[in-house]
Amino acid sequence: MNGNSMKRAGFAAGLAAGLMTLGNAAMAQDCTTKIGAVLPTSVDWGRPIAETAQYVVDQVNEVGGVAGCQIEMVLRDSQVDPKVGVDAAKALVDLDGVKVLLGAVSSGVSMPILTSVTVPAGVMQMSCCSSSSAFTTLSEEGKTDGLWFRTFATSGVQAATGAMVAKEQGITSIAIMYKNDDWGQDIGRIIAEDFAALGITVTGSVALNDGAPSYRAEVTEALRGQPEALYLALYPKEGIAAVREWISLGGTQKMIVANALKSDEFRDSVGLQFLGDTLGTDTASPRVASADAFVTQYTDRFGGAPNGPGLANSYDATMIALLAMEAAGADATGDEIAAAIPRVTDPNGTPITADGAGFAAAVDVLKAGGTVQYQGATGNVRFDANGDVSAPAVIWGFTEDGIEEKRYVSLEEVDAFIASMN
Amino acid sequence: MIQSLLDGILVGSILSLGAIGLTMAMHMLRFANFAHAELLSIGAYAALVFDGLFSALFPPLAAAIAPLSLTWALSLAIIISMAVTAGSAILVDRFVFARVRAIGGELSMVFASFGVALVLRNLISLIFGLKTQLYSQDIVFAVVISADPLLLVKPDQVFALVAALVIMLILHLVLSRTTLGYSLRAVAENPTLAQVSGIRLSRMIALIWIIGGGLAAVAGVFYGLTNQISPVIGRDLVLPIFAATIVGGIGSIYGAVLGGFLVGIASNLALVILPSGYSPAVPFLIILAVLLIRPNGLFGEARE
Amino acid sequence: MIGVISYLVFFTTVASILAIAVLGLNLQWGNTGLFNGGVVAFFGAGAYATLILGGTPQADHLGGFELFYPLALLGGMLAAGLLAWLVGVLTLRLRHDYLAIATFGVAVAFETLMRNAEGLAGGAKGLRGFERPLREALGDGFTYNLVFLAFVLTLLIVVYVFLGRLIRSPFGRMLRAIREDEVAAKSLGKSPSRVRLTAFVTGSVIMGLAGGLYATFYAFISPQDVLPILTFQIWAMLIVGGAGNNAGAVLGTFIIWGGWTASGWALSRFAPIEAQLYTGTVQFILIGMIIVGMLMWRPQGLLPERLVVSQSGKPENKHKTGSRR
Repeated sequence: MNGNSMKRAGFAAGLAAGLMTLGNAAMAQDCTTKIGAVLPTSVDWGRPIAETAQYVVDQVNEVGGVAGCQIEMVLRDSQVDPKVGVDAAKALVDLDGVKVLLGAVSSGVSMPILTSVTVPAGVMQMSCCSSSSAFTTLSEEGKTDGLWFRTFATSGVQAATGAMVAKEQGITSIAIMYKNDDWGQDIGRIIAEDFAALGITVTGSVALNDGAPSYRAEVTEALRGQPEALYLALYPKEGIAAVREWISLGGTQKMIVANALKSDEFRDSVGLQFLGDTLGTDTASPRVASADAFVTQYTDRFGGAPNGPGLANSYDATMIALLAMEAAGADATGDEIAAAIPRVTDPNGTPITADGAGFAAAVDVLKAGGTVQYQGATGNVRFDANGDVSAPAVIWGFTEDGIEEKRYVSLEEVDAFIASMN
Repeated sequence: MIQSLLDGILVGSILSLGAIGLTMAMHMLRFANFAHAELLSIGAYAALVFDGLFSALFPPLAAAIAPLSLTWALSLAIIISMAVTAGSAILVDRFVFARVRAIGGELSMVFASFGVALVLRNLISLIFGLKTQLYSQDIVFAVVISADPLLLVKPDQVFALVAALVIMLILHLVLSRTTLGYSLRAVAENPTLAQVSGIRLSRMIALIWIIGGGLAAVAGVFYGLTNQISPVIGRDLVLPIFAATIVGGIGSIYGAVLGGFLVGIASNLALVILPSGYSPAVPFLIILAVLLIRPNGLFGEARE
Repeated sequence: MIGVISYLVFFTTVASILAIAVLGLNLQWGNTGLFNGGVVAFFGAGAYATLILGGTPQADHLGGFELFYPLALLGGMLAAGLLAWLVGVLTLRLRHDYLAIATFGVAVAFETLMRNAEGLAGGAKGLRGFERPLREALGDGFTYNLVFLAFVLTLLIVVYVFLGRLIRSPFGRMLRAIREDEVAAKSLGKSPSRVRLTAFVTGSVIMGLAGGLYATFYAFISPQDVLPILTFQIWAMLIVGGAGNNAGAVLGTFIIWGGWTASGWALSRFAPIEAQLYTGTVQFILIGMIIVGMLMWRPQGLLPERLVVSQSGKPENKHKTGSRR
């Protein structure tokens, strides 16, 4: 679709939505639109992700809902079991008639949902956290019908920023510990290549399995090469266990951690006194005041900053999905909603903030047929043709009262750095 | 290499404590109790609650016993936790296992224990949340006991090992020197004959749960002390504990002790040979190897 | 309405696939008394092999032989059978709690291998690149699911009839003879170990078929599909339905899988909004209580085994599910 016809389609949709809202103004709040969510609520890191998604829905409902209707998020637990997740998704699509599905977290659950539920049914699927490169391949093969999106930036940028930190710190040898799942395997492999390209010796690369009773052996293994620094692509649960072992065995406190350890739980359990030299990487929030507003609001609501694996991603996934529903108008199909995504993530659109007020502002712009640029919790999210986002990066550290950004790395800078390694 | 051996022994003592209770229940009640590891969770959380309570009521107790991270409050809490855990074990037996035992066979018991494990684990996570918790935020540094080859041990782990060995010794004395021990062993050998000679079976069953629950509580607290506490302790430990029991031979307390150490050492040594991603498979490869040579485990007897 | 039908077709497909696996386990446990704690390894072997043999070439892992679909499915069954033969030769002489843990270990080793050997099976991100057969002709939607359900149901019936005949045959009687009294069977000149191995391999091939169908349906398989929870689910289905009874096995599958999914649906619909985040945990508690309750109420299963004996030489066999050792 070229720009012109897109604008026209968008205008038409906006007009239609506008008219419909006018017509329904009297009974506006009597209607409810359902969206589905399949998230692992019975898992330690899964529950906050679901909580965040529900928070977005509450915010949007407060300012009048989507296309004049209140949103009801029907939440199902995936139990991290593909069969259960797929069945839940199918029930949401068939029995509740949802047009938008949020989830899942694990790629192993998202993938069969995508291939056997959402794509056949023409439902838009938006995942906060699935990171597998298989989705990009699937989309390149033309099998996602443009219905698949994820707000989790691909691991390449994350790894490159980590490598950049190591280089700037003048580190010459490093050990890697990664979570033994699709995300960890991916990032562990990429960053090992990056380190090698930069001439940094990787003294060991150790996979940490889920649910192991102790990571003592793995830590001993990583310590063996006596590295100057440690790179961690772990979730808080194994991160806490492994780093506590690491420090008590006298391992270096110079650590570089991926975004999943940007967590207050991790900081509190390990102890700030050991994390002074730790630098982390993450996708960046935009350099605008609204990003701080998001953090403040989130802190008010949950009594803590949005620091935890996938929280900011979950926020953006939900908000973008709702914005797209608004842009596509009432009773839109999954395809129409997916097609409306560029209208709410338009780099030339009116910037809107990541909160209820931002949503309300977007409603007005979209009604007038305009486009908006959503400045989300993870940055100015923009999807490529495969539903992937690439976002600028940020380097952060732990402090007394939370997590502090040290440096903002623009997308151009990351790209230049990646190019320089090859 | 030597470090891995040492680590294995330190981790193994916790598995041994868990395996003793399991092997007794498996032998005398004749079923594989998949809920046994949940007793470790109950123990760990009960101690967490009472540790907090004692520290709040009597602040001096919150001081750590140097060089450990163990506090006086927690030491007291362990004793209460043993009682709470043993009590829960008896309750579960009374309300579930005893009834299933009365009408169903061995496999019904195995599946009932699976169900009980699911319920207990999720009840704990409902009450205490899914997040990781710690008895003490402090990290106690490991002590260098040899520079070349580099050998490191954590004081907490050494304490856990010594305490575990002492508890095992006491258990050994009770079982081999007291009438209670004789009765218990008689029931294990032949329940019908033991009843004929005047031993009350129900009391012996309660005793098994008291011993098993108490040891599990200690194991759970030690695990929490040297690692951390989370609702999935049971899920993470159930397989290593089973492995220890099977390797040692079902019914053999000494086998369970040895099995615990073997499994601990094996999973630590495994990384020397295999990439770490494969480590979950290692305890089972050991089991397989042991069973191929000794089909009833190291100290188990053939039972027909 | 169409949504309800579409969902039921989907649900029935998954339940029927699981029922095939439960029937395989019933041959092993219900009829032969083999405590297979590693169901998921054989299910997984079938699933992985089917996708590797039938899929399109992939850059980063083995596979993409693009075999004609029925051949790929047969290949999956063969892979499961080979694995079962190997495991069986090594472990079938073990007493059953030892056998359970040994086979359980095989399943863990299988999952670990699939998770780590990226060159073989794609690693943790799983195995994809499989074209569902007849997708070109039928599309992806409801029609496809309906045709696939018919295919799965046909295979379920074939397996059911085959096992029914097998159990009534002299071989089936021998299985039960060995299960009940191995020494007696031996004294009559039968070779228990050979017979047991045959039953173990046959049951595993059936599980492999279920795995192949499962992977076909999702056109994807990953290590997350072959975790021990599946072994537990399949066992729960058999125990609740009634070990030794094929009709019970199928009924148990539909009840357990139905309860598993319906409890999640009901909680998402009826639990108050503040409690929604805890429904996952509550669901596990419910599932646990249902299983425990079932065992306290009817340990022999909903449809207990009906012994086909020509002359009864034994007192009534009351505690079917576990009294043998």
